[in-house]
Amino acid sequence: MRRLVEGALVKNGRLETIDRGDTFGFAVRAIADGAWGFAASQVTTAAEMDRVAALAVELAKASAITKRADARLAPVKPAIAVWASPWRIDPFAVSQEERLGLLFMSEGALRGEPTHQRRGLRTTRAHYEIWREEKLFLSSEGSDIEQTFTEVGGGIIAEAVGEGELQIRSFPDGFRCQRQAGWEFLQDFDMPGNAPRIASEAVALLSAKTCPQDVRTTVVISANQMSLQVHESCGHPIELDRVYGSEAAFAGTSFLTPEKLGTFRYGSDKVNIRIDSTSPGGLGTFAYDDEGVPASEGWAVKDGIFTGYLMNREYAAQMGIASNGTMRADGWARVPLIRMTNVSLWHGDGGTLDDLIAGVDDGIYMDTNRSWSIDDRRLNFQFGTEVGWEIKNGKRGAMIKNPTYTGMTPEFWGSCDGVGGESSWFMWGTPNCGKGQPGQIGHTGHGASPARFRNVRVGVVK
Amino acid sequence: MSLFGERELRRVADEALRHATGDAAEAVVIARTGSLTRFANSAIHQNLVSREADVHVRVAVGKRVASLSTNRIDAEGLAKVAREASALARLAPENDRFPGIPEARPLAATASAFRDRTAAASAMDRAKAAKVICDASHAKGLRAAGFVSTDVQELAVANTKGVWAYAPNTVSEAQAAVLGDAGSSFGQRVALDFGDLDAEAVATEAVTKTLRAQRPRDFPVGAHEVVLEPYATRDLIGMLSGQLTGLAVEEGRSFMAGRFGEKVTGDFTLVDDTFDPLGVPRAFDFEGQPTERVTIIERGVAKDVVWDAGTARRARRAPTGHATPERTIPALPMSLRFEPGDKSREQLVKGIRRGVLVTRFWYVRWVHQLRTIVTGMTRDGTFAIENGEIAYPVKNFRFTDSIHGSLGTLKGIGSELRLIMPTEQFGLRAAWQRVPAVHLGAFTFTGATQY
Repeated sequence: MRRLVEGALVKNGRLETIDRGDTFGFAVRAIADGAWGFAASQVTTAAEMDRVAALAVELAKASAITKRADARLAPVKPAIAVWASPWRIDPFAVSQEERLGLLFMSEGALRGEPTHQRRGLRTTRAHYEIWREEKLFLSSEGSDIEQTFTEVGGGIIAEAVGEGELQIRSFPDGFRCQRQAGWEFLQDFDMPGNAPRIASEAVALLSAKTCPQDVRTTVVISANQMSLQVHESCGHPIELDRVYGSEAAFAGTSFLTPEKLGTFRYGSDKVNIRIDSTSPGGLGTFAYDDEGVPASEGWAVKDGIFTGYLMNREYAAQMGIASNGTMRADGWARVPLIRMTNVSLWHGDGGTLDDLIAGVDDGIYMDTNRSWSIDDRRLNFQFGTEVGWEIKNGKRGAMIKNPTYTGMTPEFWGSCDGVGGESSWFMWGTPNCGKGQPGQIGHTGHGASPARFRNVRVGVVK
Repeated sequence: MSLFGERELRRVADEALRHATGDAAEAVVIARTGSLTRFANSAIHQNLVSREADVHVRVAVGKRVASLSTNRIDAEGLAKVAREASALARLAPENDRFPGIPEARPLAATASAFRDRTAAASAMDRAKAAKVICDASHAKGLRAAGFVSTDVQELAVANTKGVWAYAPNTVSEAQAAVLGDAGSSFGQRVALDFGDLDAEAVATEAVTKTLRAQRPRDFPVGAHEVVLEPYATRDLIGMLSGQLTGLAVEEGRSFMAGRFGEKVTGDFTLVDDTFDPLGVPRAFDFEGQPTERVTIIERGVAKDVVWDAGTARRARRAPTGHATPERTIPALPMSLRFEPGDKSREQLVKGIRRGVLVTRFWYVRWVHQLRTIVTGMTRDGTFAIENGEIAYPVKNFRFTDSIHGSLGTLKGIGSELRLIMPTEQFGLRAAWQRVPAVHLGAFTFTGATQY
C-alpha cells in the first residue's frame, strides 16, 4: 500500500504549513492454530517478506494460547480486479500555485473587510488536503485486487474573540469536508464567495443571544450536522465488532444487540438509513474491502426499523450469513477493522431546508458541528453547533450562540418528523473517525439532508 | 525487536540533509517497532507487530518553507524527498513569521528511558501477560477486553546548523476493560520495563471493581462532589494540555491568556517536567532544542505555558523547547505532572458525605474552549459515595463542565501518581502524564445513560 498526502494551511495571510507525506509498506494477516496474527514492514525485499510472513504466523500461534473458539470466515468468491475512484481534475496535477492560490483567495476573503478585524475577527484559515492511496490485496484464496483512491478536502474557518467569547464559523464543514473526487470538488464550493458571510457570522456570534438553557423545543438540523449525527448514533452502533465485544476496551460496544435486528424501532417511519459502499464520491466507496469482499448496498434502518449491520467475514460467519464487506485498514501497518462505508440518512419528503423551518412555530435551527460526544454504547449523545437561529412562526429569526442539543438515540430519532428531499441531500464525509488499538483514523461517507426533530433538549452550556 | 540504532538514524538524517538545497534544512527521523496484543471476550483477537521509520525533511529558502516526509529511507528515497522539499520550498510564498531553523544548543542529561527487557519481549511474552488478565476475568464469569503492548521508539533530530539529538525509549503497557452482564470496570499500567509491567495488578483492579459494578442504579444528575480516579484526572488534564501553549495564548483560545500571576483554578500545581525519572525522560523537542522544566500552574496561579521558537519570538520571550513536528500544533506540553497531595484514595472517598466516584471518562470534547467547558461520559465503573464509603454502582453520567472551573473546587489530592500515556501522536507515543486521584467539591453531571 502506498499513501501520498499533501496538506496546506494559510492562516492570517501567511502560508503556515505545506506538508507532503509518502508512505509505502506491506502487511501479512494470517490465521494459524485457529487464531489471528498480523505483521507489517516497509522493507519490501523477498527476505523481509519471508520474515514478516513467519512473524504473522508466530503471532497467530501466540494468540492461540488464549483461544476459546477457532476463527472462521464466511466464504467469499476470489476476485481479480482493478478499480480507481473517479475524478475530473487530478489534484496532484494541479499546479502548486493554483492550489495555494485558492487558499490565499479564500482566506483573504475572510479577512476582507478591515472592520472585521476591529470587531474581533482574530484568526482566519483556509486549508486543503489531497490524498491518493494505492492498494494491492492478495489472498491465499486467490484474490488479486488493485485499487486507487483519490480524495480532496478543505475549507475555510474564521475565529472571533471578544466579550469573553471565542466563536467559530466554517465553510463548508469545518475540517470534515472531504470526498473521493478531484480538485473540482473544492472549486465547486466557491469558498471565496462564501468567506465574507462566514467571517461576518463569526463576528456576529460574539454578541448574539445565548441558546435557551435546558429547555425542550423543536430543532431543525443542517445536513452537515445530520451527517455527523448519523455517523455517531447509527454508523457506530451497527458495527458488528462492537456488538460482539471486540472493541469493548476502547471504542465501546453497542445498544443494537442482535435480537433487535429486524424488529427494533430505531426511529420514526421518516427515518431511512442506507449502508452503501458504491455511492460515487463517498469516503466509504470502494470496489472491494480489505478482506476481498465486494462493495454492497443495503439498509441499516428502513422506515424506522433497525435492519442491518456493518460486517466482516468472521462475524458474518457467526451470524451464518455473507459479509457485506466493510473491513478497512488505516494504512499498511494496521489491522483491518469493521468500518463505516457510506452510512447515509436517505432523503425524505420534507422538501427544502426552508420547508422544514416553515413547519416550526417556535424552535431553533442549528448549523455545522462544533462539539460532539456520545456514550460507549451510542445512546446518550450531545452535540454543539457553530451557530443557531431562532425559528419563530416558520421563519428564521435572531442568531443564537453556543447552541447544543442532547438526547438518547432511539428517542431522538423517534422524534424525527421531517427529512429534507433529494435536492437538499449531499454526500458529506468524516475523515477523522478514530477506532482500534493502536489507533486508526478512518474515512467514512455520510449523505444527509437537513431534518426536523420535536421535543429535543437544548442548551446545556452555563 | 532490535533498535534501528543511532548510527542508522544518523545516516538517514545526514543523507537527507546532504541533498537539501535551501538556506537551511532539518531532518526528523522517527523509528518505531510497535507490538500490540489485543484481546476481547477474554481471548486474543488481534496481534500485531509493525516496524516503521519515517524521515520528515523541512527546507527553508529564506522565509519560504516546506516539509515533506517519507518512509523510503534508502539513498534514492532520501535524495528524492530532500530534492522535492527543496523545490516545494522555492514555490511556497514567504512567511514573514517563520523563526528560522534553530541553532544547536546544549542538551541536559536525562535518565535513560530505554529498557532492554521491553525491546526483547516476544509475542509469547505479551500473550502470556494477556492470558493473566483473560483468565482472571474468565474465572469470575467476566469478559476482558484490552491489550498488552511493547513499543521500541527512537527519535532523532538533525539540521544544517549543527543540531544532532537522538533518544531511544521503550514503553510497555497493559490495560483492560472487564465486563460483566450488567457493569464494567477498567485497569491500566504503564512501565518502561516490560519486566515491571504488572498485568496481575491490572486484572485484580479491573476484576474486583467490575464485580462491585454490577446492576448500577439511578443517581440524580446535577453538581456533585466527586473523586476522580487517576484515569479520569488524566482525561481532563490531557484535554487541557492544548490550552497550555503559546499559540493558544496568542490566539486568545486559552483561559490562561492575560491572567498570568493570577489565581485561575484550585490549589494544585501542574508542571511539564521532561526530566522526571518516573516519566519517560527526553532532553529535547522535535526541533532538537533543549526542553525546559516549566511550571504551568503553581498552587492555582497561572505561571507559564510551553513555547516553540515561533510563538516565543512573537511573544518576545525565550522558547521552552516543546516544539512538535506538526506546524499547526507548534508546541505541546508532553510531560505533564500533577503534583501529588497527601491523601490516600480511601481518605479522598472518606471526605465525601454524598457524591460520585468516577473511574474514567469517555469521548471528552470541547464545548467552549475559552471557558474550558467540555462534555463527555463516565464509563467502566461509576459509583455512589455515601457517608465516606463507596456505596453502590450508578448508571453512567454525561458531564458538561469547565475543567479549570471544576478543578477550582479541588478539596483533596491523592498521594500516588499514576503514569499514563496517550496513544500515538506525531508517529510515536510522544506524550505522558503522571496524575493522582482528586476530590472535587462540585462537578456537573448534565445527563445520564441507561447503563
